[in-house]
Amino acid sequence: MYAYDTYDRAIINARVDEFRDQVNRRIKGELSEEEFRPMRLQNGLYLQLHAYMLRVAVPYGTLSGEQMNRLAHIARRYDKGYGHFTTRQNIQYNWPKLVETPDILAELAEVEMHAVQTSGNCIRNVTTDHFAGAARDEIADPRPIAELIRQWSTFHPEFAFLPRKFKIAITGAPNDRAAVKWHDIGLILKKDGAGKIGFEVIVGGGMGRTPVIGKTIRDFIPETDLISYLEAILRVYNEQGRRDNKYKARIKILVEALGADVFADLVEQEWQNTKNNPIDVPQAEIDRIYTFFTPPPLEVLEDVVAVVDEKAASDFVFASWVANNTHAHKVPGHVSLTISLKPHDGIAGDATAQQMDVVADLARDYSHNEVRVSHEQNLILPHVAKHQLLEIYQKLELAGLATANAGLLTDMIVCPGLDYCALANARSIPIGQAIAKRFDDMKRLQDIGPLKLKMSGCINSCGHHHAGHIGILGVDRRGVENYQILLGGSGEEDASKAQLLGPGFDADEIVDAVETVVAVYLGERREAETFLSAVRRLGVAPFKEALYGAA
Amino acid sequence: MIIANRLDTGRVVFLGADNQWHTQADKAITATDETVLEDLWAKAQADLDANIIIDAQLIAAEKNDHVAMPSHIKHIIQAQGPTVRTDLGYQVSPDWEG
Repeated sequence: MYAYDTYDRAIINARVDEFRDQVNRRIKGELSEEEFRPMRLQNGLYLQLHAYMLRVAVPYGTLSGEQMNRLAHIARRYDKGYGHFTTRQNIQYNWPKLVETPDILAELAEVEMHAVQTSGNCIRNVTTDHFAGAARDEIADPRPIAELIRQWSTFHPEFAFLPRKFKIAITGAPNDRAAVKWHDIGLILKKDGAGKIGFEVIVGGGMGRTPVIGKTIRDFIPETDLISYLEAILRVYNEQGRRDNKYKARIKILVEALGADVFADLVEQEWQNTKNNPIDVPQAEIDRIYTFFTPPPLEVLEDVVAVVDEKAASDFVFASWVANNTHAHKVPGHVSLTISLKPHDGIAGDATAQQMDVVADLARDYSHNEVRVSHEQNLILPHVAKHQLLEIYQKLELAGLATANAGLLTDMIVCPGLDYCALANARSIPIGQAIAKRFDDMKRLQDIGPLKLKMSGCINSCGHHHAGHIGILGVDRRGVENYQILLGGSGEEDASKAQLLGPGFDADEIVDAVETVVAVYLGERREAETFLSAVRRLGVAPFKEALYGAA
Repeated sequence: MIIANRLDTGRVVFLGADNQWHTQADKAITATDETVLEDLWAKAQADLDANIIIDAQLIAAEKNDHVAMPSHIKHIIQAQGPTVRTDLGYQVSPDWEG
């Protein structure tokens, strides 16, 4: 993992001191709320429905056990004993007091964490594949470059006041687990004919009220040229992006308006300036960053483990957990393990302080002290020996963390919705809980197979409903919560935009509607055909007919 | 009624007839008369200016058995706490100050 150098430490500590002073001045009345609001937002502090909310960055979703322990400590000491992991690989605390937030930030800084650029119209936390550095299908670990982008973008003065927020995601594997085509910039790591690393560059993706899948503007940019090329993209956007209308200010609107080819030409022209300036990082510095991401010393082990297979043969739920919650590792005999934060009686993405401490212990004992946060709101132990899976399972079971549903229907992305969020129009969490309850039977879930359900409580799409195989969008219909169903979205390498099926359903109807959609799939599917494949083959017509009757 | 958040903790509060901010919606003063509403808003504005509260809003309310409650679900949730994790919400500690 990356470790702060003296510069990182100095700027983060200075930022804590600065924010402490700003909070003190606000409490004393020396700053008005209008003056203070952008300051607190630049430190990740929002005002939500019930209280302040602090969003803490987890750069590219990577944490050490000690950092996870600190997150638990903050939940316990400054909040109500829990936190919420988000689709940006961050964690949010729902109940911090303004007066205590400088202390929280100081405690985070002690473990090399912060909340800068988790809000505001700047370059946000860079996200990546939660299996980065471990996945068998990976070309190379994208995290060194994610770290390079973090350093370049942190407090970048030119890009501190962009037209709108800006999100970058990177995948190091052809199987995209970072939803790169749905980001302002998506980067797909590739190697050229000489084996040198570079990136396909995609721009203008995004969700919200105008969902757009990003477009490739360059097939390959060498990693040594990446920063100057990103600088050129940001500069074109900063100059030409709209500032007159918040809803048309994201880069996707600019790229759509100009056309991707014209936008690409503008970037190329600008790049002629930026690439000749000393912006790009010397190879020696890139090499230095790479040293922090050296793979752990894993011994090649047997891929078949008797103790696991014997238990799986007699325990369907354990067998499902092994099948669903493990992912192929580069080193034989190992897996990356998904710890589902989607218990059927819980809240998607929430973890208690006690659970965070359990995960920290497991990371130390079984995963070379590494934890990942996934954009699907789960936690990952990236480097686990297969022969230890049963031991880990038993410990997770005791902590309520052994739900065997990774990648299945109840492994939903669910935004905080109207229970917490000031922007939401409808509640998401109780609907997610009702769906989980309806589909609680593990054999049924396993039979339905891979299915990504994603739910947002408003058009801002924090719950990624546009990219859901089944998407649910909560709306306010004359003061009553109402839920629309969308079908056929994907956040992966085959990215697609989900299609709205028709009028929404009331809260007490939406679970039946989801069940109807699933029943159509089960009735129509061909052998081994997944839900998404079936939707793509059939189109939405049979699902609409089942929900609304024949036209 | 007027809803706001305390500056220091963010706790949701309601303006009462005693000109104080209360954590419980049933202590909120409600009014329909324009002049009274203007007076209430003047008090809220004074406390905004005094940095006691933030994000004050005049919201629709209704009374059931003489007990005031916001009308819209968003403000009902603000008054009562999240409808999930009710073990940690205002339901179990309505006087919680943040």
